[in-house]
Amino acid sequence: MKVESRRTHIFQYHADHGNMINFHGFEMPLWYDSISSEHMAVRDNCGLFDVTHMGRSIVSGEKAGEFLDYILTRDPSKLGLIQGQYSTMCNERGGIIDDLTVFCLENKRYLVVYNASNREKDYDWIISKSQTFNVEVQDVSDMTPLFALQGPKAQIILQKLTDGGLSKIRRYWADQLVVGGEKALVSRSGYTGEDGFEILLWDVPLESPGKAMVLWNRILEAGVSFGIKPCGLGARDTLRLEAGMCLYGNDINDETTPLEAKLDFAVKFEKPNFIGREALLKQKEEGIKKTRVGLKMVDRAVPREGGRVWMNGKEVGYLTSGTFSPLLKYGIAMGYVSVDYAVEGSILEVEVRNSRFKTEVVKMPFYEVEKYGARRKTSQA
Amino acid sequence: MKIENYDIPDNLFYSKEHEWALLEKPNFVKIGITDYAQKALHDIVFVDIPKKGTIVEMMKSVGTVESVKSVSEVFSPVSGSIADVNEELRLNPELINEDPYGKGWIALIETNNFPEESKKLLTPIQYVGYLRTLSK
Repeated sequence: MKVESRRTHIFQYHADHGNMINFHGFEMPLWYDSISSEHMAVRDNCGLFDVTHMGRSIVSGEKAGEFLDYILTRDPSKLGLIQGQYSTMCNERGGIIDDLTVFCLENKRYLVVYNASNREKDYDWIISKSQTFNVEVQDVSDMTPLFALQGPKAQIILQKLTDGGLSKIRRYWADQLVVGGEKALVSRSGYTGEDGFEILLWDVPLESPGKAMVLWNRILEAGVSFGIKPCGLGARDTLRLEAGMCLYGNDINDETTPLEAKLDFAVKFEKPNFIGREALLKQKEEGIKKTRVGLKMVDRAVPREGGRVWMNGKEVGYLTSGTFSPLLKYGIAMGYVSVDYAVEGSILEVEVRNSRFKTEVVKMPFYEVEKYGARRKTSQA
Repeated sequence: MKIENYDIPDNLFYSKEHEWALLEKPNFVKIGITDYAQKALHDIVFVDIPKKGTIVEMMKSVGTVESVKSVSEVFSPVSGSIADVNEELRLNPELINEDPYGKGWIALIETNNFPEESKKLLTPIQYVGYLRTLSK
């Protein structure tokens, strides 16, 4: 096995305070305090994540919008100035190469943010497809530390560090602001289901990470009285699963399509030509055979990735993610089941260590959206 | 006794799988997982133990302890039948983290051969020695 060791700008903080793991070659914190307590800090108050390990490239040039429309399944060319969107990037077979976000920074200039696990694969793919479009693709990952501040108290905390008006940034929009004295791209986005921001610092090289470390600490200080916690990758995973969001490599991969993954909203068939369109259109016409569902344990057990799903003695699917929900206090999972059984309220069985346990097909997010997440009714901010 | 950060009470027997056994009264042995085991798992959220009356064999699985991210089998350090289980753990599995040798006990087992079986378990001093080999 190839053991790589890559570090982010604030590696020293992680090493000093966190319980470290190797995540796709990056030395990252799995947790600092505990997964459950960090998870609940984000649902109740606020959490701060270092997500610098993710890949970031700038795509620019006369035909940048057209190019992105071609390689992505959604419609990035229609983005407003400093607006973003979630999209999938597919291969010719309609399989998902990656899921990512794209922001229009200025006319003909876009920022693409993709998974750490796919940094090289995505960059190579984008470069290989860019030749006929005359666009420039620049990997800025090591120059742009990226933090995610997530939870109902995120805005009130971040506002202490900037004069820029955060309340006017809508979900999936962004602004170029000065945060803690540094130029930053601040977007209202994230991977937890909660309200919150992703803060990207411009031009801070990995070799001189001082500004990143200063901002990280300033945000933590600003949040002390609001119950902020630094959060590791463990809580990041349980939060996104509760919110019903896919993890690349688990819930989606090169062999699953956005239609099977219930990411139809990110596929714009109206576009005359994009990579994967033909295969996806064919699948849409023929109908999908399996689909991604949320499963809530009825019996007492914790479902795990890879567990098989059964109904009346017949195997009908498999789990792609599973955990004990720190918020709901029962087992939750995501998986693919044959479309005949993907009906809300259906009772299926999942296999956990050779025994089968009852589970119910439910809609996602798993939590009540009136009480938790970005659309919660009781604003705590 | 203490080694590094781990508490190793002097009155217990230990297994290499990090369970402890306490002879509570003649023929009845209380079992649980050690401080080392609970610290390695961290953040325990779920405990699964079989019903009273279940027959268990020495060093065979008697249940599971799960953290958010991982699952760990609990092996019974003694053979016998389950006389009682710690029902508190169903609602408060974190008791194992907070008090692994006390409120975090897992099961009470009625044994028939503890004097003989305990010879195969580790004394506190042997367990400390074993932990030292792990931390190297």
